[in-house]
Amino acid sequence: MTILMTALYDLGYILIFPGFLFCFLVGMLLCGIDRKLVARMQKRVGPPILQPMYDFFKLCGKETIVPAAASKTTFMAAPLIGLAALVVIQLFIPVFGFTAFSGVADIIVILYLLLIPAMSSMLGGAASGSPYAGVGLSREMVTVISCELPLVLVLLAVARTVGNAMGTGLCFSLSTIADFQAANGSLILKGSMIPAAIAMLMVIPGETGNHPFDAAEAETEICEGMLAEYSGAPLGVYKLNHAVKMLTLTSLFVALFLGGLGTGILPLDIIIMFLLCVALTAVSISFVHAVTARLKIEQIFKYYWTVVSGLALISLVLAWYGM
Amino acid sequence: MSILNYHHFPIYSIMILFLGAFLTVVFGHKKALRNIFALLAVSVSLACMIALVKPVMLDGEIISYWMGGRGIAGGYAIGISLEVDALSLFFGLLISTAVFVSCVYSIQYMSHDDNPGQYYTLFLMLSGGVMGLVLTGDIFNMFIMVEILTFAAVALTAFRNKAFGALEAAFKYLVVGCIGSTCILTGVIMLYAQVHTLNFAQLSALIPGNLTPATKVAFALLFVGFSTKAFIVPFHPLAADAHGAAPASISVLISGVLTKSGIYGIIRLCYFLFQSMQLGAIQFMLVFIGSVSMFVCVTMALAQHDFKRLLAFHSISQIGYVLTAVGLCTAFGISAGLYHAMNHTLFKGLLFLAAGAVLHQTGTTDLGKLGGLSRRMPHTTVLFLIGAFSISGLPPFNGFASKWMVYQAVYQKAVESGNIGFLLVLIIALVTSVLTLASFVKVSQSVFFGQLPEEYSDVKEVGFGMRFAMGIFAVLCVITGLFPNLVTTYLTEPAARAVFSVGKYISAMGFDSTVADQAVSFAHAGVWAPVNWLLLLAVMLLAVTIVAVASRYDKVSRRTSETVDTKYQLFYGGEKNVYSQVGGGDLFWGFKHNWRHYFSFMHDLHSGVVNDYALWAVVALALAIVFLQIVL
Repeated sequence: MTILMTALYDLGYILIFPGFLFCFLVGMLLCGIDRKLVARMQKRVGPPILQPMYDFFKLCGKETIVPAAASKTTFMAAPLIGLAALVVIQLFIPVFGFTAFSGVADIIVILYLLLIPAMSSMLGGAASGSPYAGVGLSREMVTVISCELPLVLVLLAVARTVGNAMGTGLCFSLSTIADFQAANGSLILKGSMIPAAIAMLMVIPGETGNHPFDAAEAETEICEGMLAEYSGAPLGVYKLNHAVKMLTLTSLFVALFLGGLGTGILPLDIIIMFLLCVALTAVSISFVHAVTARLKIEQIFKYYWTVVSGLALISLVLAWYGM
Repeated sequence: MSILNYHHFPIYSIMILFLGAFLTVVFGHKKALRNIFALLAVSVSLACMIALVKPVMLDGEIISYWMGGRGIAGGYAIGISLEVDALSLFFGLLISTAVFVSCVYSIQYMSHDDNPGQYYTLFLMLSGGVMGLVLTGDIFNMFIMVEILTFAAVALTAFRNKAFGALEAAFKYLVVGCIGSTCILTGVIMLYAQVHTLNFAQLSALIPGNLTPATKVAFALLFVGFSTKAFIVPFHPLAADAHGAAPASISVLISGVLTKSGIYGIIRLCYFLFQSMQLGAIQFMLVFIGSVSMFVCVTMALAQHDFKRLLAFHSISQIGYVLTAVGLCTAFGISAGLYHAMNHTLFKGLLFLAAGAVLHQTGTTDLGKLGGLSRRMPHTTVLFLIGAFSISGLPPFNGFASKWMVYQAVYQKAVESGNIGFLLVLIIALVTSVLTLASFVKVSQSVFFGQLPEEYSDVKEVGFGMRFAMGIFAVLCVITGLFPNLVTTYLTEPAARAVFSVGKYISAMGFDSTVADQAVSFAHAGVWAPVNWLLLLAVMLLAVTIVAVASRYDKVSRRTSETVDTKYQLFYGGEKNVYSQVGGGDLFWGFKHNWRHYFSFMHDLHSGVVNDYALWAVVALALAIVFLQIVL
């Protein structure tokens, strides 16, 4: 019986919380809130908060067209694989004291798991055979390269800080990082971690492909790049992927830097987590979106590898010398 | 001793390859017979290696074998010996696997070439040479094997000598390869003059007490010699030319086998003969060269527009990971490095075979000309993607498992030594990994996806034999990625233990050893359970797919190209199809633009003139001699 119960619990984790259903709802809400905020900041009324959800279901009812030049299997499977890979990442990110599956992946693994959705969308775009997708995927790849360096530095800085304090020298486990913060207060309260936190905030819009780092999708210029040939349900799944990615990255930020705010009561923790994700979306995605214009791809690269990486590097060096 | 005693297996596995080479000469004109002899030779060689796993890897025995019964006389080794410890066997297994798969692939791949008989002869000579190199216990014998494999490899590089650049590539390889071989020979002579023996075990016992300036020079000579075999920086341009020109099945051997022999030589040299790895300066040397190889070659690969040249540079870049991990001088680091070496053989072999399949069917490997082959060669595409995911380190494939171990090892070393330089190495390694991914996105886009050019619209999938060979590598890539614990327990950890038991290595040949074996630890801080992750992903994917299918996700409208309705064609902004192709060579200009000074510097540096490369070799040798004189 216990095995059956464990299996049922695991299935519940995978499908409901923090898995599929949770990601779907919260991701869509974050997306809607982001759109509303940007609209209000630009003195527009903006769509209802639930608009992304309406869009998704409407797209699912639309006709799906596969171009004659496309490789159909890859073209159709790519969005689904990306979605599944994204939701699985969410299973490893602790909600304060609670981690659905600890002992499977550490932060270096998560760094690489984040590449899978990007990779699947690039291959999907490539499989469409469109030259716009070609340009789009090349830019997407450069954006991924740009974000990778600062993200690596941030993760190493956190691993070192926690490892130092725990006396083990280094710590890669996210649930250990969460426990450490529960006992000793959030990492963002440490002075040496503040630059890394700022860098991580700047990485979020780059990873999700939001303004001003959305050269890969640039609607006015290359017709949404990798999505140019997508229509109907697969396009809807891509929109969902984008929404889930916002949740993944903001909750990763919470797990890395704001882990001390938990109460130990799971339902309350979920609400705190959600509010924090909304706040982070507002700060890192919406505000930036509202006031900036799209950057060119080489500017994105330069920005991430100089300013953002520089900030993260400061934290890493400080953490290295135990400050 | 019965002839089926496993102590004979190492010599069998070498002999059978040379015997096969001889037989393929005699029966070269009979196609079936020749193929059977070649396959038989490589299969027996592989079987011998597998049979040795139990005694050597699991029971920790070191097989010592004196040829002709001539052993030690008057305290000195006078006979030629084989000595197989877990390290040798590890490389032997890699080599025999790669040789076997390459041979299976060759049967179909080379069937349309002129003189396939000579091909098999050279192929088996090369295989036998590398096999002898890693199993021998005698340094002069090692030099002989280096010569055999170098000349076989040069001849095979130029095998398709009507193809553009083949002779030039072979000539470059010959020149620099000869400089390397000469270095090794000179080093061997100097060691012999100093300590009067050629036996590895005895050299390991004598050299650390006799560190004269001459032995230090010998160290430098041998190091540079093995470096040329591993193609690490500054010898990387040769690899690009050689891989570009050689048949794909030979590229598999050059990248999967020849470079490994160089790494093997470096490990034997640094850990066994000179036992100098405890010195920070020697660690620095290996890690520095490894990191530079990693980074320089991955950026060089980004600038390539030929499929096989691109793969060649990636090959060296991955060897950089191996060398870096080996240079850390921790048991976990060596285990990680050897794991990556193994994975490198598997995924790089797979990728070269896929490139060979593309070349076989289309006649070109130019990224700018190819495109859209996934619809014509679906199996090759899937196999290529497995290789590409593996080399780019996407979970759960094997490249990730080993790279992840390398990162852990480097970070651990950084924490233990308190040296912030290792942190830089770690960052380079992580960035190199994402650049590798970029490069393979480029290949996927410009060869297998994207638009299918008119001229390749009737390309067919390759034959079963070639797909089967690629399939072996692909299955191995997945298995070794999903079960890292099995690989480390049965293969890399015994080999890493062997590296730290020099005393045992010496006494196994009957010499007195004063070197104590070191305690080793494979503890690490990270967590990665690929099978669990894959289960989660499978459940998630199943759920997503069920929802998708239930909501009729797969109901699509598609028009075949016969019905010309522009609505279902690709969407262009009005320009003609031919003008909108994104060139394969220049896909990542957003990245390259920021690094344009670096790239133009590298472009000028790699002049393609063999004189320059020979000069680099000489300069590297001079630097190595000076450096080692100072630090040893």
